[in-house]
Amino acid sequence: MKKLLARVPGTLLLLLLVAVMIFPYWMMVSVSLQTNAEIYAPTLKLFPSVPQWSNYAAAMQNGSWGRYILNSLYTTTVATGVSLFINALTGYVFARMRFPFQRTLLVLVLVGMMIPTQVTLVPLFVLVRSLPLLGGNNLLGQGGTGLVDTYAGLMLPYLAGSFGVFMTRQFYVMFPRELDEAAKLDGCSRFGAFVRVYLPLSGSILASLAVLKFIGAWNEYTWPLVMTNTGSGRITTVQLALTMFRNEGEIFWNLLMAATVVSTSVVLAVFLTLQKHFVAGVLAGSIKE
Amino acid sequence: MRRKTFDRREAREAYLLLLPFGIFFALFVLYPIVRSILDSFTDYSLSSRAFTGLRNYVRLFTNDKAFLLSIRNTLLYAAGSIVPLMLLGLTAALLVNRKSAGMYLARAALMTPYVTSLVAVSLVWLFLYDPTSGAFNKVLAILGLPRQQFLYDRTQALWCLVVMNVWKNLGYVMILYLAALQSVPQALLEAAQLDGAGYFARLRRITLPHLRPISYLLFTTLTVECFKTFEPVRVMTSGGPVNATTTITYQIYLRAFSEFKLGYASAMSVVVLLIVLAVTLLNLKLGHQLDGEDGV
Repeated sequence: MKKLLARVPGTLLLLLLVAVMIFPYWMMVSVSLQTNAEIYAPTLKLFPSVPQWSNYAAAMQNGSWGRYILNSLYTTTVATGVSLFINALTGYVFARMRFPFQRTLLVLVLVGMMIPTQVTLVPLFVLVRSLPLLGGNNLLGQGGTGLVDTYAGLMLPYLAGSFGVFMTRQFYVMFPRELDEAAKLDGCSRFGAFVRVYLPLSGSILASLAVLKFIGAWNEYTWPLVMTNTGSGRITTVQLALTMFRNEGEIFWNLLMAATVVSTSVVLAVFLTLQKHFVAGVLAGSIKE
Repeated sequence: MRRKTFDRREAREAYLLLLPFGIFFALFVLYPIVRSILDSFTDYSLSSRAFTGLRNYVRLFTNDKAFLLSIRNTLLYAAGSIVPLMLLGLTAALLVNRKSAGMYLARAALMTPYVTSLVAVSLVWLFLYDPTSGAFNKVLAILGLPRQQFLYDRTQALWCLVVMNVWKNLGYVMILYLAALQSVPQALLEAAQLDGAGYFARLRRITLPHLRPISYLLFTTLTVECFKTFEPVRVMTSGGPVNATTTITYQIYLRAFSEFKLGYASAMSVVVLLIVLAVTLLNLKLGHQLDGEDGV
C-alpha cells in the first residue's frame, strides 16, 4: 500500500506530461472534423459538435492525393527495400571478410554517417541534374535536366545509407564463425552464404532497419522539395502536398488538418505495430561499440 | 611494421560485393562533400564557375547580415532546445521506467511526435500558434492571460520553434535515457536503499553518473540535429519575421535554389560541416576522457 502511494506523484506527473504531448495531436484530429465557424469561434473547442467527415473528402480533392500517396508509398518502399539489401550485404562483407584497407573504408562509411545531408544538398542536386545521357542530357551532362523531377532522382540518394551498414555489421560480427565454415563446406560462395545463411537469420535487425528507413523516407521533405523545384508536380510526395495547403492565400485549417491526419496515419500505423523494432533500431544506431 | 596477409581470392570477392554500396556511397555521399568544399572557393552559378579564392567566406562573415543572423539564430535554437530536451527527456524516462501495459502506452504516446514528419508537425503547430484561430491563444484566454502573436512576433518566433522542437524530440531523448536506465545495476540501487538512501540520493549518486556517456552522445546528436533545422522554418515562418527565425540551412536553401548562387551556398555548407565535425570531435574527446576515468 505504501509502495503504491509512493507512485502517485510520479503517475500524476506522467499523466500531465502525456496530456501535454498528446494535445497537438488531439487538436489536429479535432480540427480536421470541425466546421470553419467552430475553428474561428473565440473559445477552445476540444470536440467538434458534429464530426464533419466531409472535410476529409474535400481535403483529398485539393490536388490529386491518390497520386501523392502512391508516389510516397512507391518511392519509400523501393528505397527501403533496395537499400536494406545493399546495406546488409555491405555490413556482412565488413563483418565477415578480410581485405586490404578494411579499417580505412569502414571509417569512411562512419564519417559518411555523420555528415548531415543538408551539407551536400547543393552538389547532390547539381549531380542528379547533370548525369550524362539522362533526361535530355548529352554525354557531358549538359542540355537537359538529368534525373530532376523523376522517381529515380527522388530515390537515388537514399540507396546508400551508411547507418544501415554500421548497424548490420555490428549485428553480423556477433555471429559464430562456424557458420561460415559450414556454409563453405556446403559449397556456398561468400555471397551464397550471405543470402542463404545470414539473411534468413537477420529478421530482427532488418525489421528494425526497415522501420527506421521507411519512416525516414516517408517523412523526408528537403530532398523531394529540391527535386521538384522546377518540376511538373508529377512526382509530388505527401509531405510536399501538405505544404501546398499553406501556399494558398487563405488556409482552411480543417482541410489541412485532415490531410495531415491522412499523411501521418501511415507512419503512425507502422510505428505503433512495430514499436519494439523501431526502438531497437534507434538504440542500435545510437549506442557506441 | 606488421604486415597483414590477405587471401587474394577473398579480397577480390569482398571488393566485388562492396561494389553496389561503394558506387552509391562514392557518388551520393563522398563526391558531394568534396564538391561542396571545392565549389565553396568559386563563384559557381548554373552558368559560370570561376575560382575566387576565399571571397565567399570573406563575404559570409563580413557582408552578409542574414547569414550572421542565421548563425546566431541556429546557436540560440540549439542552446534553447538541448537543455530542456535533456532534462525533460530524462524526467520522462524516469517516469516510464516500469514494466506495465500503461507504461508501454505512455512511451508510445511520448514517442509519437518523434516519428511524425517535421512538415506535418510544423503545420499542426502553425495552427496551434495562429493568433486568431489557434488553440494556444484560446488556452491563454481560459487562463486569463493576454493573447500573444507567437510566430508573428520578432522576439517570440524563434522560441516558438524551440518549444516545438523540444516537443518533437523529447521521445528520442527518452528512449535513449530509458535504455541507459535499464542498464543501471539493480543490486547497487537495492543495496543503497537498504542503507537508507532515499530516491533522490540514489538518483544523484548512482543513476546520474551512470547516464554520463549517453548524455554526451545525446548532446552531440541533438546539436547536429539542431544545426540541420530547415522544415519548420520553411513551412512555418519562411525565416521571418524580418529574418528572426532564419537558420543556416534555410540560408543555404535560399541562396542555392532561389538565387542559384551555388558557390556561395557551398561555402555556407562547409561552415555547417566544420561545426558538425567540431561537435563530433568534442564528443569523442569527452567520451575518451570518460573512458579513462571509469577505467572502461
